[in-house]
Amino acid sequence: MPDLGIVDIREIIRALKSEYNCDFGNYALTSFKQRLERIMILFNLGSAEGLIGKLRSEKDFFDTFLHELAVPATEMFRDPSLWRWLREEFFPSAINKTIGKYKIWLPGCVSGAELYSLAILLSEMGISDRVHIMATCLSDKSIELIKNGCYDSRKLEVSEENYKRFNGTRELSAYYKADRNCIFRNTPLIENVEFRKLTVDFDNAPLNIKLILFRNCMIYLNPTQQDKILKVIYDSLSPSGYLITGIREKVPGISAGWDFETINETESVYRKRIFS
Amino acid sequence: MIYKAVIIGGSAGSFQVVTRILNSLPRTFPLPVLLCLHRLKHVRSGFVEALSLKSNIPVEEPHDKELLKSGRAYLAPANYHMYIELANRIALSTEDTVNHSRPSIDLSFITAANAYREKLIGIILSGANRDGALGLKRVHDNGGIAIVQDPAECEVKTMTQSALQLTRVDCVYTTDQIINFLLKIK
Repeated sequence: MPDLGIVDIREIIRALKSEYNCDFGNYALTSFKQRLERIMILFNLGSAEGLIGKLRSEKDFFDTFLHELAVPATEMFRDPSLWRWLREEFFPSAINKTIGKYKIWLPGCVSGAELYSLAILLSEMGISDRVHIMATCLSDKSIELIKNGCYDSRKLEVSEENYKRFNGTRELSAYYKADRNCIFRNTPLIENVEFRKLTVDFDNAPLNIKLILFRNCMIYLNPTQQDKILKVIYDSLSPSGYLITGIREKVPGISAGWDFETINETESVYRKRIFS
Repeated sequence: MIYKAVIIGGSAGSFQVVTRILNSLPRTFPLPVLLCLHRLKHVRSGFVEALSLKSNIPVEEPHDKELLKSGRAYLAPANYHMYIELANRIALSTEDTVNHSRPSIDLSFITAANAYREKLIGIILSGANRDGALGLKRVHDNGGIAIVQDPAECEVKTMTQSALQLTRVDCVYTTDQIINFLLKIK
């Protein structure tokens, strides 16, 4: 197993910056190292030089690199209690109060686990046509895989268990077809989703969003970058818009750049307050 | 202070041992105690409360990037890997399971060994799979102290025996000896 030193990691970050103007300097070091080592195993690269060489010489590889670097959500319907809360408490009133489409943004999509879970929830509630979902990814490859519905079948067992705990109205198997190593989820579920690529610094973030589902993505950033991204998230939300983070992530609270009140502490749901 | 942290890994049969250790450490224990124990992915609450009952030091499930403090125990949260970052911070991760486990003992031990080098004490307790063996090896290779609970005393021996196969550990200790060792840390 490769074991990259800090000097190696800095070299890789420098190469990514100079070659692709993409700055990973504020990613959390330990998980970034893990991801790089995983990519090296995946592509049979024995050293940091090997990885840097491949990044410099194969321009097509960069997009794949971004896809493999990003960490997908663990499985579908992670934390079933959140999904139950969304169905029973949150969406009924949120949708009723909204004139026009209710805008939802999922900033860090990799495998589409969160996106398809949300789409299934909305479909079972019969409110799919009341929302507009925007899904953003670091790479084209992630977008393509999500659009094809492709999903790692090793994650199916826990996803099924989660769906049962969510008390969905059907069986999860109603929403996919199994293939060999991959399952294919029903793509009509996401036919109205808008896909976009997003930069590492979220430069092109959308605006006037009512709900941002952003779970377990900020854990891969260091505190400096977390603050930067939280500010962007805050600015992206419409007044009284909601943010949902992972349950063990930084609690946004109040700072110079944002002001969030806690709506559901157990499930890490926050609401944007306007500075007074 | 010679050491910077203690890290303990365990699975089936380790709960009673961890409880006894936490019950024996003084409130003024001079190091942070990192606990990576296998647990059900979907049960988020109850474990930290159960461990807290008899512990003299506060036991908590850390938030991402939380700063580690002495005299506190940090339990890896359900369905997250718990990494140790440089600069004494916890970092959580939702990466793939390792040895079917998330939290993975190997990942917690390897990242702690990278952060603390020879200033780390790693302890593997009773458990039913091989997780932790690679991690303890890294603790040892980086110059830290590698301790394994005496398999003769373990409810399930697989984890300790796997660790012993991979590494010439510093000590094979009973629970009492582990406690005595920790109490001598000044």
